[in-house]
Amino acid sequence: MHQGPDRSPLLKWGFVGPALVLLTALNVFPLLFNIYLSFTNTDLSGGVVEGVGMANYTRLLTESRYVDAITTTALFVACSVMAELVLGFVLALALRDRMPGKPLVLTVLLIPMMLCPVVMSLFWNLILNGQYGALNQLLAAVGLPEPAWLTDDDLKLTSILMVDIWMWTPFMMLISLAGLNAIPKHIYEAAEIDRASRWRVFRTITLPLCAPLLGLAVLLRATDALKQFDLVMAITGPNDMTTQTLSARLYQVVFRDYKVGLGAAYGVVILVAVILGATIFVRHIERIKRQQGAQL
Amino acid sequence: MKFLRVLVLVPYFLLASFPLFWLGLTSLKSYEDSISNTVKFVPSAEAAAPNSVRFQASFEAYRSLAQPVAGTPNNFYQYLGNSVIVGVVSTLLAVVLGTLCAYGFSRFRIPGSKDWLFFILSTRFLPPLGVVVPVLMMYRSMRLENTHLGLVVLYTGFNLSLAVWLMKGFIDDIPRAFEEAAWMDGYSRLQTFWRVVLPEAATGMAVTAVFCLIAAWNEYGFAMTLNNYEATTVPVYFAGLQGNIKGVPWPQIGAGMVVFVAPIVLFTVLVRRHLLRGVTFGTVKG
Repeated sequence: MHQGPDRSPLLKWGFVGPALVLLTALNVFPLLFNIYLSFTNTDLSGGVVEGVGMANYTRLLTESRYVDAITTTALFVACSVMAELVLGFVLALALRDRMPGKPLVLTVLLIPMMLCPVVMSLFWNLILNGQYGALNQLLAAVGLPEPAWLTDDDLKLTSILMVDIWMWTPFMMLISLAGLNAIPKHIYEAAEIDRASRWRVFRTITLPLCAPLLGLAVLLRATDALKQFDLVMAITGPNDMTTQTLSARLYQVVFRDYKVGLGAAYGVVILVAVILGATIFVRHIERIKRQQGAQL
Repeated sequence: MKFLRVLVLVPYFLLASFPLFWLGLTSLKSYEDSISNTVKFVPSAEAAAPNSVRFQASFEAYRSLAQPVAGTPNNFYQYLGNSVIVGVVSTLLAVVLGTLCAYGFSRFRIPGSKDWLFFILSTRFLPPLGVVVPVLMMYRSMRLENTHLGLVVLYTGFNLSLAVWLMKGFIDDIPRAFEEAAWMDGYSRLQTFWRVVLPEAATGMAVTAVFCLIAAWNEYGFAMTLNNYEATTVPVYFAGLQGNIKGVPWPQIGAGMVVFVAPIVLFTVLVRRHLLRGVTFGTVKG
């Protein structure tokens, strides 16, 4: 690499420095502070701050709401990511070849993932409403039962999942399409000469060649779904037994019960989960970059 | 195969676009029509019977956006103004800092550059709720709570990682020969950056700005927990209307949502070729 004129270290750190300083100040510091808080009894309503050792963590582990929140979050991540992946990939297969109006269809399908999650899920409350919601009116029109989407304890999480799937299936579709388009045509031509069956082509060519990108998409979605907060807030509120994710639980503990110390402990738990996901993600993109032969 | 494709695409397209279609219709209804027990999906000019599928369409809900909804101190446009200020300022800052940083990592040998880049990326994965407590306490002691500046700083930080990674992708694509030619002509490093690199990176900066703006525009967690009144953005305002004592004013909310969401739809159309890059931090170029 030609280094060009003026190689003073001041110049290069001048370019990258401001961003690095801001990111450190806004991330590393709060993170450390959060860990410190999790060992104290800090209360938003005031009072003397004292170290309480592991008390917040032992309390958290004995809380049944904690276990419920973990189960709900895990269930939410697994169901949403799987459903979005399958649906998104099927849509990508359907949209793969040229057809009239494809750019328009594609753009419309991609819109939901760009919109504000909390605003759009608030609007979904109107569609899902048990009495006057459009969904139940459509179901009634074709003679199906009309479930109480927003108030039935067995259905609330399903409703949130439905909105999440509506919002994020386009994401999986977009990345799947990129994966499909990157498969060289000549591989398919060779398979055709070998008279391979459609299913065999799909299983031995299409799926394995798309897998790295699908993995990337799953990791991105999963780390995002782990933090699920906006939809829960908009559809059932933070303190609903059946839909309380870890983030919603943290919100409840800190902003309704003012237990900052305990909330910080919840924060640490979410962080650990997200860091695990993010680490796998980073490893994964390193591998993809290596495969593409691109330099990082 | 063609039949199968239609079988997948048509129902999904109808289902996926329905909420957007319904949002548009709701914004044209009266409150009674918006929660009617009959599906009202045919707009008409004159009044319709309560059990008809028709409803009288009007722009009343859009006009009423200028009035505060019962229980809120301000009208919709004031919250929209907050969203615009916070979104635009934080986007500009993130794009400027991100472009500088990306250029630095793209063209200089920086010790530990790989680790720095992954540190930058990892900040994007931090759950807002995981750091909101310390941020809130920091903001309280610095009096940044309930201010536009507080949100601008947070959103700039939040978007910076995306800006750096996207811009690095775009700047890496600019041939170095352009800069080398400029050096031959005696340009300094900064002159080259300003006159050669920036014009080439303009499209990338615009695309990056759109993604940063959308992220800031849509953000809810920080905006809600750090603001009770001064700098309340639109998502927080709408979420607060949920418990409205007079019943949720769906047509007004719908009209406000249309106004709030329309620019994002427009931006999505504008950057559709770069969507893939945007949602994968520039790692997949499509």
